[in-house]
Amino acid sequence: MTIVRSLGYCLALALASGLTGTAGAATLDLGKLIGAGKDLATAGTGIDEKQEVEIGREIAGRTLGATTAANGGRSALVNDPELQAYVNRVGRWIASQGERPDLPWRFGVTNDPTVNAFAAPGGYILITLGLYEILDTEAQLAGVLGHEIGHVVKRHHVTVMQKSAGVSAVAQLGQVAVQARGAARQDLFNRVIGTGAEIFARGLDKEAEFEADQIGVVLAARAGYSPYGLIEVLHKLAARGGSDESLALLFSTHPHPNERLQKLGEALEPRVPTLPAGQEPAIRQVSADVAPAPAARPTTRAAKPEAPAPAPAPSGGTGFGIPGFGSFPLRR
Amino acid sequence: MRFLGAAFFTILATLAMPVAAQQVVVEKDTELRGDASSTAPVVGKVAKGTNGEVTDKKGAWVNLKTTGATGWLFSFNVRFASSAAGGGGDGGAGTMNRLAGPRTNVSVTSTLGTRGLDKETLGNGVFDAEQMQLLDSYATTRDAAQAGATGAGLASASVAYLEAK
Repeated sequence: MTIVRSLGYCLALALASGLTGTAGAATLDLGKLIGAGKDLATAGTGIDEKQEVEIGREIAGRTLGATTAANGGRSALVNDPELQAYVNRVGRWIASQGERPDLPWRFGVTNDPTVNAFAAPGGYILITLGLYEILDTEAQLAGVLGHEIGHVVKRHHVTVMQKSAGVSAVAQLGQVAVQARGAARQDLFNRVIGTGAEIFARGLDKEAEFEADQIGVVLAARAGYSPYGLIEVLHKLAARGGSDESLALLFSTHPHPNERLQKLGEALEPRVPTLPAGQEPAIRQVSADVAPAPAARPTTRAAKPEAPAPAPAPSGGTGFGIPGFGSFPLRR
Repeated sequence: MRFLGAAFFTILATLAMPVAAQQVVVEKDTELRGDASSTAPVVGKVAKGTNGEVTDKKGAWVNLKTTGATGWLFSFNVRFASSAAGGGGDGGAGTMNRLAGPRTNVSVTSTLGTRGLDKETLGNGVFDAEQMQLLDSYATTRDAAQAGATGAGLASASVAYLEAK
């Protein structure tokens, strides 16, 4: 009881520091705060879902901020509302096939020419325009989103945070951070996730990536897509190779695509005869005018009750998208 | 009507288009089958390191032609030639376009004019409240996503998770 009262005092201190705008964050004794709460029930069980969503939201917001900065101040999200609604429709449908269908899933295509995708805890998924543009089919998009959703379902980044800061520290810091404001909030979140969105620059361990690949294939198949979209994307990445600058960050944070193909192939091979063929719908094309509007402002419209169906692609190509290999007809 | 007719002939032309072969290397010793099926008869064998051409794909399978044999094998048992080996390795928009298969009209780097995210910019990321609000506005509900999928002809299937290897 004394411990709980003590933590309550520290919580109040943290909140007060945040609310006053605060220079007090720097002097906040986080060591005492963590120590005081070690016996709380949450210490042993990690963070709850609400905290996880808040932490993920902070990471996603920082990633968007980093993208805006990399774009010279232009908007982080691709200025194509129909495309964004489409990706949300596909992503939410795939997420519905997993164990955490009711998270507040958010999907966004970012104005980033590099080839990458990011999954923040709580259901925040970002895919770069550089990756989106090399996809040929909705099944390939499903494989990519399924992989990212797999990270969220398995709480891979939460595990990384807990390994780094300790299970109880993440739980308690997260609890305080989501209630704090201003500089105190940023300081507390930095203790949990590091500065900026550096958590995405560190990457996960190989096993987490292999696991997300296997989950991605299955979630795509459950959603009615060809299970092999992700395989095709991995072939594309492997063929581009590590010398491609647009893949530098991806290659530094993930196992080589050839290794991923090998591991995924080993797991898939005995299941191929029984997996459904699934569908390979055409992927929605990005608007011809993808250049983001300067100083784009959020719109006031509410979330669409129903996302529009994808427009048929002008070309009928699909396949691996490897040089000279793009003229297979769609097979549905 | 004229539009439909034109579309029909466009589709026919696409279907009739010759498939360009792609150079691959076989990744592991494997059997070749007469069709894209695990129950199709074995028509040959290829060893790891064998060079060949892939000329078609069906689901998990690709059709491989080598100097000694032709048949189907799992796509994850081949590796496609790298872009550098296959086309001069210019490293720029040209490489991206070739790799993008049929979507050859977009060069993202030149469109955006930036190099994009790297470790440093990620580490310096500051929360962007406006873009997060915009991201929120694009969200859809589970029910709406299901309705959209149904409208697109997608049906959910029962598929067990894979066993980790």
